Amino acid sequence: MKYSTDYSPIEMMIIAGSREIENGQILIVGTQWPIITTLFAKKTHAPDITICYEGGVVLESIPDRIPLFTGDPCIASNSVLLNDSLDTLGMILHAGYPDIAFLPGANVDRYGNINTTCFGDYSRPKFRLGGSGGACDFGSLAKRVITMLEHERQRFPERVDFITTPGYLDGSDSRERVGLRPGTGPGAVITTLGIFRFHKDTREMYVDTYYPGGSIEEVKKGFQWDIRVSENIKVADPPTEEEIRILRAEIDPFGMYLKNNKAKTISTL
Amino acid sequence: MTMSKAIKEFVRDGDVVYLGGFIQHEPYAAIHEIIRQRKKGLTGSSCAGMIALDQLIGAGCLDRVITTYTWNPLPKPAHAFRRCLEKGIPHDVKIEEYSILALTLSYFAGALDLPFVGTKTLMGSDLAKNSSFLGENKLKIIESPFNGEKVCLIPPLKHDIGIMQVQRADSIGNAQAWGIMGDSKYGINSCSRVIICAEEIVDTEVIKRDPGRTIIPGFKVSAVVEEPWGSHPSYVTGCYDMDWKYFSFYDKATETLDGFENYLKEWVYGVKDRSEYIKKIGKKNLDALKPKPWSGNPVDYGYCAQYQEDYIL
Repeated sequence: MKYSTDYSPIEMMIIAGSREIENGQILIVGTQWPIITTLFAKKTHAPDITICYEGGVVLESIPDRIPLFTGDPCIASNSVLLNDSLDTLGMILHAGYPDIAFLPGANVDRYGNINTTCFGDYSRPKFRLGGSGGACDFGSLAKRVITMLEHERQRFPERVDFITTPGYLDGSDSRERVGLRPGTGPGAVITTLGIFRFHKDTREMYVDTYYPGGSIEEVKKGFQWDIRVSENIKVADPPTEEEIRILRAEIDPFGMYLKNNKAKTISTL
Repeated sequence: MTMSKAIKEFVRDGDVVYLGGFIQHEPYAAIHEIIRQRKKGLTGSSCAGMIALDQLIGAGCLDRVITTYTWNPLPKPAHAFRRCLEKGIPHDVKIEEYSILALTLSYFAGALDLPFVGTKTLMGSDLAKNSSFLGENKLKIIESPFNGEKVCLIPPLKHDIGIMQVQRADSIGNAQAWGIMGDSKYGINSCSRVIICAEEIVDTEVIKRDPGRTIIPGFKVSAVVEEPWGSHPSYVTGCYDMDWKYFSFYDKATETLDGFENYLKEWVYGVKDRSEYIKKIGKKNLDALKPKPWSGNPVDYGYCAQYQEDYIL
């Protein structure tokens, strides 16, 4: 096993995300980075995971072309269950089956609340985004929500403008107080800078892990509040050469996800 | 029936319109005809839409919208949707938003004529805190009369008219659709009037050979339109794939208001019907979207011709 010295921050994020997955788990998966991350895990260390998508798909195998979104016909034709949203968001997610829900996010705040609705005032936004889709259902219902996004400071405000997808709301037990089930909520936020988790009592996000070549100072600058840092802060292992080869050559051979990000290669030398 | 006649006869100004399909099956041919006929004051209801609501909003057909998500799947912004909600162009549209599960449950309640459905999703989100034209009736969070836990009640949503594209239907409207179905079955069954747009109109015998694929019975359907490629640029499983290049073209073409107007002039007002639109896309482009076959073993619905000889009621 040889560590790679030539990989992009996006590739590091995907591999860090995949390491959160254990073989045999049931996942419900949102669009963008979660798609490639979960398929990569299935191709490598977790071949027996089950991947569910909001429109009514249960997938046990890797499609022969990479899905570009969760409505892609290539996931339908390879699935073991193909029906509708009451199957996957209802009888799977609402019923409590998924071990992890993977989501993309535009903005994430101190308590893991996610905004994909708008920037500015909701009634007359400065910038209107697409909306929830199934994201609010993932965030409301799943045992462990993992959010993946490119790390930019403006994506990490202390409080999001609009809570599309509830995280721990105002921290502490506020999530349970609004009626969401105990034992659900954000588990990790995984970005191009590191891995962030949530304090078990305050439910506040903290820096758990940063990536090779990075630093605590650099990571802290990526947040609009003074984020806490774990006393046992870790540095992630870099991807192996084999992982990067599989990701590029077997999971995304046409660069549908990775092409535009290759230029931003970091070096760990 | 022709699309033009179906829209003229069954879509009325001010209607609450369900736009069916969940990514696939979106009725773009019907949407373009609604725009050509300059329908006004509609409420557009679409669970996980791409650019269907975007086009109707930009064309000024909608006053109100019910949705969970509206975005170009590239992913790129739905520009007319953004212009409308950020700047009120071409006029202000009120938006009511749920999550996919909550809106699907609302359609489900509408389809069954239930008073409400209870769920554990949505609570704590700002989707639950904000409402517009539905006001107090968007949802209610109460304590369950059974165990006291908090539960979110979603009211039934009923539509005056529903439109969706399907793979096939017979001439009386028994409609069959397959693939990723999302909210479609519940949405299309929650409508007073229904227009089914079919890739192909088939003999009822074809329907009867695989009745498990029917999503709505003919007696609920007001009109059937045969409209091949009616979901383009979206897809219909087994018929044609997503036209990603067209979504990319649409993104660039509609980024400015002028661009959007020109798009309508060229691709909606500038063509008389779907067949002209399809001609404009061109055979080469269409051929590239034809899928490789992925057919299953035929399903058997067989049964014995008679009951057992010694079985008497």
